[in-house]
Amino acid sequence: MWLLLVVICLALGVYLGLQMPVVLPFIYAKYMSIAILAALDSVFGGLRAYMENVYDNLVFVSGFFVNILLAAGLAYLGDRLSVELYLAAVVAFGVRIFQNLAILRRYLLRKW
Amino acid sequence: MKQEARISIALVCIVLGFMVAVQFKTTAANPGDLSTLRVQDLTLQLDKVSKERDALAEEVASMREQLKEGSEDQAAEVLRQQLAKANLLAGLEAVKGPGVVVTLADSAQPLQPGENPNLYLVHDEDLLKVVNELRAAGAEAVCINEQRLVATSEIRCAGTTILVNTTKIAPPFVIKAIGDPAVLESSLHIKGGWLETLEIWGIKSQVQRVETVEVPAYRGSLAFRYAQPVSTKGTAN
Repeated sequence: MWLLLVVICLALGVYLGLQMPVVLPFIYAKYMSIAILAALDSVFGGLRAYMENVYDNLVFVSGFFVNILLAAGLAYLGDRLSVELYLAAVVAFGVRIFQNLAILRRYLLRKW
Repeated sequence: MKQEARISIALVCIVLGFMVAVQFKTTAANPGDLSTLRVQDLTLQLDKVSKERDALAEEVASMREQLKEGSEDQAAEVLRQQLAKANLLAGLEAVKGPGVVVTLADSAQPLQPGENPNLYLVHDEDLLKVVNELRAAGAEAVCINEQRLVATSEIRCAGTTILVNTTKIAPPFVIKAIGDPAVLESSLHIKGGWLETLEIWGIKSQVQRVETVEVPAYRGSLAFRYAQPVSTKGTAN
């Protein structure tokens, strides 16, 4: 039920994205990719919190949107200052995503 | 609480899916960013385009030849003479005669720290000034590194090279000009002239009077797309 909702909504989002005539200029694709990474991090963080029974709706939603905007904004700022903050964000989010995934896997293993 | 969580998960998933789809489309729409292509690929592309250009230039030459043959008709003798004259004036014929050969090479002086290396190179502007001087001194045919200068020729800077007739040329630059050798030479060696200015930066220039110098024909395309003759009496010839 819960997983079904996720899959359906993801599919709906992908469908909307493909149907809408929105194509970003190539120079902004970098910021979009970092935003997606932040979004993925938030989603896995939310799943982990759900497993740990500390899920808070407001934290999850606000974290999702604020993380996206902050990540893209910081990457943009870094480019303006010629600091590769983009790489820092990739590394930070990448590490967190893998950590969260590992914790999720343990919870799932313990469950079954 | 449970209901709220569902709504926010749905919302987040839709947004995430949307972003992924947009990013996917963006990446797919921009596959050929030149700056990320490998040097080898670019070299291959350049090679291909150069070959195409050479082939087209040959085609132009052979077609001009055909045109010449076609116009070798007794009845068209007058026309042919006119055409020959026009070709000569337009720079479509290789010509020879007395003149000067000017050689310009980049400076060999060692660069002092903090100095702009641009000062020691031959620029498009330098070539333009020299050619201008030659023309003012009555040069009838001018070429730079075998690129004939005609009415539509440009001399401009393109990155690290100079374009003449949209062909890249590189130093040393050899400018050949047909005209009165003495007048041409003294026009270049005039006090405060451009060659003297270049001397300061160590740019070597050499002006040589020659008995006969050959200036090649213009090999590019000559087609007017926008300019129309303003005819005053019937159709222009």
